Amino acid sequence: MSEDLHKNICNQNLFKVFFKKHSKNLHDFLYYKFGERLNPQDKVQDAFIKLWENCKKVPPNKAKSYVYTIANNLMLNEVAHQKVVLKHQKIKPKEHSNESPEFLMEENQYRKKLENAIANLTEAERVAFLMNRTEGKRFKEIAEILDISTKAVEKRIYGALKKLRKEIEGL
Amino acid sequence: MEKEYLIKKWLDNSLTPKELEAFKALEDYEALTKLSNYSKGFKATEFNEDEALKKVLHKIETKKQSNTNWLQPVLKIAAILVLCFGAYYYTTTLDTTFTTDFSEKITVDLPDNSKVNLNALSSITFNKSDWKNNRNIFLKGEAFFDVEKGSSFNVNTTTGTVTVLGTEFNVKQRNNFFEVTCYEGLVQVTYKNNKTKIKPGESFLVLNDLVINNKTDYSKPQWLSNTSAFKSLPLKEVIAEFERQYNVKVEAKNINTDLLFTGRFTHDNLDLALKSITQPLQLTYKKSNQTIILKRE
Repeated sequence: MSEDLHKNICNQNLFKVFFKKHSKNLHDFLYYKFGERLNPQDKVQDAFIKLWENCKKVPPNKAKSYVYTIANNLMLNEVAHQKVVLKHQKIKPKEHSNESPEFLMEENQYRKKLENAIANLTEAERVAFLMNRTEGKRFKEIAEILDISTKAVEKRIYGALKKLRKEIEGL
Repeated sequence: MEKEYLIKKWLDNSLTPKELEAFKALEDYEALTKLSNYSKGFKATEFNEDEALKKVLHKIETKKQSNTNWLQPVLKIAAILVLCFGAYYYTTTLDTTFTTDFSEKITVDLPDNSKVNLNALSSITFNKSDWKNNRNIFLKGEAFFDVEKGSSFNVNTTTGTVTVLGTEFNVKQRNNFFEVTCYEGLVQVTYKNNKTKIKPGESFLVLNDLVINNKTDYSKPQWLSNTSAFKSLPLKEVIAEFERQYNVKVEAKNINTDLLFTGRFTHDNLDLALKSITQPLQLTYKKSNQTIILKRE
């Protein structure tokens, strides 16, 4: 690993590479875990700034978990048990544009239900599930990001899927 | 658990074509894809990596600057100190100058307790800080020196240099007039590379490039007691001295100012002084404003 060649991440080029590698995943992680209200963008930036300030103390192999922990803590400081709000992107699938008003209404209802159901998932489940579904990440990738086993990821996602279906379809 | 296996494989995007067929055949297929499709709508807001990185780097830069903020006041203080020290150093190493105006006489104490009496319209310049190694004085005009014993003491004038070790002497340097009178000790005058030693009671006079050796009967120059004394000196020198002491202009158009004058005039009484000058030479004077006109009787 090229990272291990360096004692720390104080070199700006290293830092840039590191940022590009992890910032988006961290952002998505925060977003799915805490929702959009708490401004995950800012937390990502703040976490990386913290990393830079402490770059001499943080070994490169710990840097990733460092920014995740920092960002997570920054979020937690603000959370105060707010309900997670995920904004559903209003991308209207074109093939449905000719559908009847009943269909559109039904579709809207479905979306609302899903939104609720996702908000009701545990943080761990929600993060894993949305990373998998919306970002198209595979179990192994998610496992790496979250520092857990693939099996655990699988369990979380599958569990989330079951919960969602139960809540939406009444299964 | 065939179904759960297939769903998990589907979630992981790792279904083989054969498995995909089986998955599609599941009764849940429809509901699962719907759920999955709608879930996609909850995608995180766009995260612009480059933009964010730029912001982070910018913040790091500005923080770095704020970290160095403490340096700024320190630098300011340092700059002020440097300036103060520089000014102090500059002024202390700077030459000190004392100047007198018309009809003004002052006494200057030199760093080694030597005393200088400065006659009207004269100036001395010397370096206080370097005084110990370098007792050098630049003189313009006339001054009486009472020099403490010590290393050599030089009085530099445009005409000549006077060197002593410890003595009392008077130096007068005005235009073409250069006179050194010794009252105590021994004085050496360097004039045009010629060195002349002057004993107490003697004076060394250069007038229009002519060297004249005179004697004096006084133990102090007369101007110290507010009188100017002359011994066979041209009238113009007397007039010049008179002008310096009284800050007046003297016109002597139709008079031969090369006439030699022996005598004295006081610095305290203009009329008396004028009389002392004019009467021996059989002249009269007329005052008008700041000008005094001398005439033949």
